Amino acid sequence: MTLLKKIVDWIDLRIGVREIVRKELTGYLLPRNINAWYSMGSILLVAFALQVLSGILLLIYYVPDADKAFKSVSQIMNEVPFGWLIRMFHAVGSNMMVLALLLHMLSVLLMGSYKRPRELNWLTGFILFSLVQGISLTGYLLPWSQLSFWATTVATNSASAIPLIGPYLVEFLRGGVLVGPPTLGRFFALHVAVIPLLIAALIGAHLFLLKRTGVSTPPFGQPETPIPPPADSYRYEDHPGGIPFFPNYALEDLRSIALYLACFLAVLFFDPYLFFPKDAFIPANPFVTPAHIKPEWYFLANYQTLKLFPNELIGLSLQGAAMTFLALLPFIDRGRQRHPLKRPLFLACFIAGLLLWIGLGIWGHYS
Amino acid sequence: MDHKRRTFLGIGLAGLGALAAAAVGWPLFRYLAPRSSREAAGKVVVPEGDIPEGGARFFEYAGSSAVLVRKRDGGLVALSAVCTHLGCIVQWQKESQDFLCPCHAGRFSTDGVVIAGPPPKPLAKIPFSVSGGNITVG
Ligand code: HEM
Ligand code: FES
Repeated sequence: MTLLKKIVDWIDLRIGVREIVRKELTGYLLPRNINAWYSMGSILLVAFALQVLSGILLLIYYVPDADKAFKSVSQIMNEVPFGWLIRMFHAVGSNMMVLALLLHMLSVLLMGSYKRPRELNWLTGFILFSLVQGISLTGYLLPWSQLSFWATTVATNSASAIPLIGPYLVEFLRGGVLVGPPTLGRFFALHVAVIPLLIAALIGAHLFLLKRTGVSTPPFGQPETPIPPPADSYRYEDHPGGIPFFPNYALEDLRSIALYLACFLAVLFFDPYLFFPKDAFIPANPFVTPAHIKPEWYFLANYQTLKLFPNELIGLSLQGAAMTFLALLPFIDRGRQRHPLKRPLFLACFIAGLLLWIGLGIWGHYS
Repeated sequence: MDHKRRTFLGIGLAGLGALAAAAVGWPLFRYLAPRSSREAAGKVVVPEGDIPEGGARFFEYAGSSAVLVRKRDGGLVALSAVCTHLGCIVQWQKESQDFLCPCHAGRFSTDGVVIAGPPPKPLAKIPFSVSGGNITVG
């Protein structure tokens, strides 16, 4: 202990680490009525880090070549010791990460945390959401199974509905008229290099913005309404008399992360193929389209919307409009009230929207 | 009393941490550990006719490089082709009937004995048997 103290003393003397600890950890005060939903961010950080780690491990044995990809993934699953664990960790982990991201977004919506002055936080979060969808879509192709191949065919094809540039855009996305080896090349680069870097950069921006605005006060169970932010000057939202981040909230974060890992590992060990339809086990065959090709669960609503409208352009435009509306929500919904029960119109739209998304998803699943 | 409780919980926590680290570390080590090579230490069969008098034939054996040489007098030798200096692969010099290591000019005789240069030890001998026109190494 004394040796440790000496080392810390030595470092502290030079760069003042104890001051950082005091300012950023023990003296970083959070609202007293903070709740568990505020640890979704920490869960997401861990989830992303785990994807990066397991992804790098997969890269050791995975071969990004149309002739060898499926075989290399089979080899990882069947021959490399614990390869199945790493692979399933990555594949199941991606689904769990999307789920955590959705919950994070829903809680931010419900607590109105996207409102002024946190519009930029919402915007960066929304871009992160799109990037995670992108990384999942590109990763889905990599095993080069029937599922990979045809899900990518359908997903890229939906862009063809865009007037004028649509058909060329599809070809550009695929690197050819049809999905083929060139598609694997670009999706691989996107999946393992471009999008992970973009995600890391946006996480940085997201956290920086949080640091500058300060943590929001939850709208629930607060004794008095907080002072609204000034309209004409910057103010950091601090919480005098709040609970320290370290050790108090850090422990809550840890508990939430443990809970997340427990759910994640329960799926991994007890129902590993939950997210794997049987076409995932058949190598890609460009000449045989399987009967019921479906996207992953979080794209089912999009898939069903596209199917519902005879004109693809209408379906696509509707989705674009919905996404744009969501992205710009903080600039549209500008009331100061954040408590969901005091925002009946918002709450009604929230529930209706959620039910619509789930309903379309279930419909898409069984259609 | 409270102090004892703390120590106990601390030890318990450290134990759980160690268990978790092992549960993560072991699969990770196994995943990364080299496979193939030694476990696949099968025998290598080379047809006798493949090696002319005064000639050599290099092949993979037990995950490493080995060489079969037929001496001018007709005798066969099987050696590791890995130089005992810093591990380069030796080359067969047909004219001089010896091995030259291109890295630091180490020289070995047909039997693997060091003739010149820095190698500290002779090339390792590999057991083999000949029957029915086939050489079985290993
Ligand atoms: C630097 C980070 C990452 C690297 C290096 C990486 C690498 C890989 C590799 C090599 C594969 C093919 C092997 C396989 O199918 O199991 C793969 C598949 C996949 N990755 Fe990643 N990945 C990374 C991050 C992510 C993230 C953040 C997500 C999503 C949130 C993700 C989602 C997927 C998906 C859905 C698959 C297909 C899984 C399957 O069907 O087996 N990856 N990834
Ligand atoms: S490695 Fe062969 S002589 Fe140095």
